Amino acid sequence: MKFWDLIKIANRNLFRNKLRTFLTVAAIFVGSFTLTMTNGLGDGMRSYVESQVKNFESDRVLMVRKKVEEPSGPKNGAEEYKDAPDGDSGLDPNSFLITEQQITSLTNGIVGIMTVTPRYNIGGEYITLDGTKKYKVELGMLSEGITQKTEAGKPISGERQIVFPVGLARTFDPNIDNLIGRTATLGYRNGKDEIVAIALTVVGVATKGFMTNTSSFVDASTAKLIHNDQRRGDTPGKYIGFSMQMDSPERIDAAKKVLDERGFTAVTMADNQKRTYDALGIFKIAMSLVAAIALLAASFGIINTLVIAVLERTKEIGLQKALGMSRGKIFAIFSLESVLIGFWGALLGTVFGIAVGLITNKVLIAAYAESFEGFNLFAFTLPSIASVMLIVSAVAFFAGVMPAFRASRLNPIDSLRYE
Amino acid sequence: MLETRQLSKTYSGDGTDFQALRDVDLRIDKGDCVAIVGKSGSGKSTLMHLLACLDAPSNGSVIVDGQDVSSLSEKAKNTLRNQKFGFVFQQFFLNGRDTVFENVVLPMRIRGESASTLTKDAATALAAVGLTDKTNKRAKDLSGGEKQRVCIARALIGRPQVIFADEPTGNLDSQTGAAVENLLFDLNREQGITLVIVTHDSELAERCDRLIEMKDGQIVSDKKRGEAK
Repeated sequence: MKFWDLIKIANRNLFRNKLRTFLTVAAIFVGSFTLTMTNGLGDGMRSYVESQVKNFESDRVLMVRKKVEEPSGPKNGAEEYKDAPDGDSGLDPNSFLITEQQITSLTNGIVGIMTVTPRYNIGGEYITLDGTKKYKVELGMLSEGITQKTEAGKPISGERQIVFPVGLARTFDPNIDNLIGRTATLGYRNGKDEIVAIALTVVGVATKGFMTNTSSFVDASTAKLIHNDQRRGDTPGKYIGFSMQMDSPERIDAAKKVLDERGFTAVTMADNQKRTYDALGIFKIAMSLVAAIALLAASFGIINTLVIAVLERTKEIGLQKALGMSRGKIFAIFSLESVLIGFWGALLGTVFGIAVGLITNKVLIAAYAESFEGFNLFAFTLPSIASVMLIVSAVAFFAGVMPAFRASRLNPIDSLRYE
Repeated sequence: MLETRQLSKTYSGDGTDFQALRDVDLRIDKGDCVAIVGKSGSGKSTLMHLLACLDAPSNGSVIVDGQDVSSLSEKAKNTLRNQKFGFVFQQFFLNGRDTVFENVVLPMRIRGESASTLTKDAATALAAVGLTDKTNKRAKDLSGGEKQRVCIARALIGRPQVIFADEPTGNLDSQTGAAVENLLFDLNREQGITLVIVTHDSELAERCDRLIEMKDGQIVSDKKRGEAK
């Protein structure tokens, strides 16, 4: 008997009891629909995060800050309030301020440091190109060694440079290429509450991403200037952290270790990304567990359906065996029925899941397009769809093993006599 | 063609053993037309199941074409049944929702024949039982006599050497039963197919060339037709 014949027989057997087959397929459908949606959601979030973080490149930069003391469980008592050391609202007094001297002694002895950039705290008031039309601006700084991807122009490479976010750039000129090389005026409020204006060269427009969608980025030396000008009291020269550019990625681990011993944590961008991906991974696994439970319940439906089918078809199986059909073929027919139930359920579940996901994406974009440009809540990739189909079919196969085995072991005489 | 040597079969269960067959020695030659008769519990069905390799003996051996069946693998026994034997049962065992064609070609499907062979052989087999016009009817829509003729076509299609018929007319009225009997005897006479009929219908048994009577798991008489008692 040919394999194709076996599939045809299995399919015909399934169609003999349409309602029962339909209900069993429906249970599998729910399971695979859930699995498709949770996978799609996980992949969607992952690809969103990916599209955001890939806008910065640095394999040699460490971001350093003082270790946060591990909270020793929930506290029963009250915690004492400490008055801020001075009136500077720009810096959080609780954020472990370190001085330049401390940075120097901290980095002392670490091999391979190329540059050290303190983390400057800067805020802008407005940005303007022609001096008359001013726009609100959010400022960010780019540490030495970190490259920002740009949609137009080039990344920051020197002093007094600025990279615009896409939205701001388009407001200035729909053709963002026209902005490159022009001079912008940035206004900020200094420590004496006066507005100071400085001229910056527009070198690029940032690629979309969640850190780059709203902020304009300036180079480190410009950031230093603004930071120091904005501080009051004794805070100039104090920072909440700093970044180190190493001469090669191989030096990073050693540097981390030294800083760790000195009470500071150092992370790379890759570390931060990994943490985000890990969190997403756990989230995805948790959701997949829900889908797995749905599938498990559905697989009992398959077992039930097939056990009944074996009972119903006992005589038929007896006849087939009397006429020379092998145990293996009988097993194969029932297994195929099981896999076909799984396959149809998986196919319907994924197709329906993808349809619902894509419609949801469209609805979300229509509603929140401004704030979530380039964001898809659900993403469906061929490998993840294929793996859902495969997993569901495999689950169905395993559900069919017991009934199929029982069918294959039936004794032809007993089953022909079976009433 | 078929031979048994000291064939015994014991069914055990619940602590009690039931000996269905005791040391049966039997020889059935090619082209024979044999009726096995006896009361229920006499062991006639057990004998047929063992001859047809549907069951394994407790003791002794079944020899088909000079080969001891107990030495064959499960697979070889399947092939043997599929290629050399045909079966006709009292309860038909047709698949009612399938067409007559699908029911008839089942042994050939199991054998793995091509679609064109199936069509050709089914046409020959259905013509032999006079049911060519019912080829695409569903089996459940046929009358009892027609169903049994479909079964004969199914037994016939693989060109077997032996047809085992277990109470072939048990579910039929005497007129349709006689038609089915004639069909079987014609196959025996014209195609030389060995016929082994298990029945307690004495009229049917009398029409066979050879009559084997069983009682308590043993052969009590074995005679040619016309021989005096």
